[in-house]
Amino acid sequence: MGARGIIGAGSALAVIVAALVASAAPTPAVDIQVFQFQPGAVEVRAGTAITWTNRDDIEHTVTSGDPEHRSGRFDLRLPGRGTTTTVTFSEPGVYPYFCDRHPSMRGEIRVNSTNERSER
Amino acid sequence: MKQQIIAWVGAASVVMLAGCTQSMAQPPGHGAMSMPTASTSGTKAAELRAGLNNLFSEHVYLAGAATNAALGGREAEFKAAAGALDANSVAISKAIGSVYGEGAEKAFLPLWRRHIGFVVDYTVGVAGNDKTKQDKAVNDLVAYTQDFGAFLSAANPNLPKSVVADLVKHHVVTLKTVIDAQASKDPARAYTALRAAAGHMQMIADPLAEAIVKQFPDRVRQLDRGERLRARAPGRNLGARSSSGFGGWARRDVAAATTRAILSEP
Repeated sequence: MGARGIIGAGSALAVIVAALVASAAPTPAVDIQVFQFQPGAVEVRAGTAITWTNRDDIEHTVTSGDPEHRSGRFDLRLPGRGTTTTVTFSEPGVYPYFCDRHPSMRGEIRVNSTNERSER
Repeated sequence: MKQQIIAWVGAASVVMLAGCTQSMAQPPGHGAMSMPTASTSGTKAAELRAGLNNLFSEHVYLAGAATNAALGGREAEFKAAAGALDANSVAISKAIGSVYGEGAEKAFLPLWRRHIGFVVDYTVGVAGNDKTKQDKAVNDLVAYTQDFGAFLSAANPNLPKSVVADLVKHHVVTLKTVIDAQASKDPARAYTALRAAAGHMQMIADPLAEAIVKQFPDRVRQLDRGERLRARAPGRNLGARSSSGFGGWARRDVAAATTRAILSEP
């Protein structure tokens, strides 16, 4: 195998490794299913984008704050099954949210400045 | 005092509406819905069906009692009826939770109670002869049927959202008839309507029970096998769930206990 072959093989390997690393990193995602945010609480590091997917056959919203104290940071509609919306959390903090159509549906995003991230 | 009465009436209505909202599944023989085909004639399936029927019909009767007391201005009676009605709501949510988990139970109860607010609005509208308020409450309830249908459909794919919503709409209509008759001081018509409203709940309870059995057929079969084994060896396994089945349990607990058993027994 010549130098080009070695370089080519190395590049392919790098691509594969990168793909594996990417697939190993958990994607911050929240499903809305049976009128629940699942998981209800998510912990991420600053700069992370979180995507909500509506699995119910009804409109839900992802609205920041709580029904009594809306924070106004985001208020996003997911009009039906299969619809998604994404929010990027740049600043550390705790971000409660709820569904404006079904106020008993609550969730929380905890944003850390560290590299740690976990889902509860 | 007037406000209190209105509040009672509202609460009572809510209760009644809660009963309406509960209607989720479709009635056997309802051609519009592709009904679950699993048999509910088996022991555990039959217990589940009977338990759900009991919970749902109880809900209607308690709602009717609360509404009637509220419209009649009988505060103590209304409070007692409303309390019993809410206990029934909790029991229904526990039955749901027994099948679909604690998260679903917690999601179901406020959803159920929410529509009660719309019933209250309607009752208040009736008590105050406020047609605009009545119409808004009815519209809210009709819209709510979509949410309720979506919840049950998401929990159990054997329950089409549109069919559930239609059943709940019919239930809203039957309860509305009860409230209207109570408000017009026509007890004969009110009790006839109350029987009809309670009877309609079977069209919800039966399909719901069948849908659950269809969703978890192995669990039901395992339970029935376990019952047969316990019956052959009556001296064994006489624990909390005795060989006498659920017969000795409070009726309102049957559905929750049976659904819990369906999912928890090995």
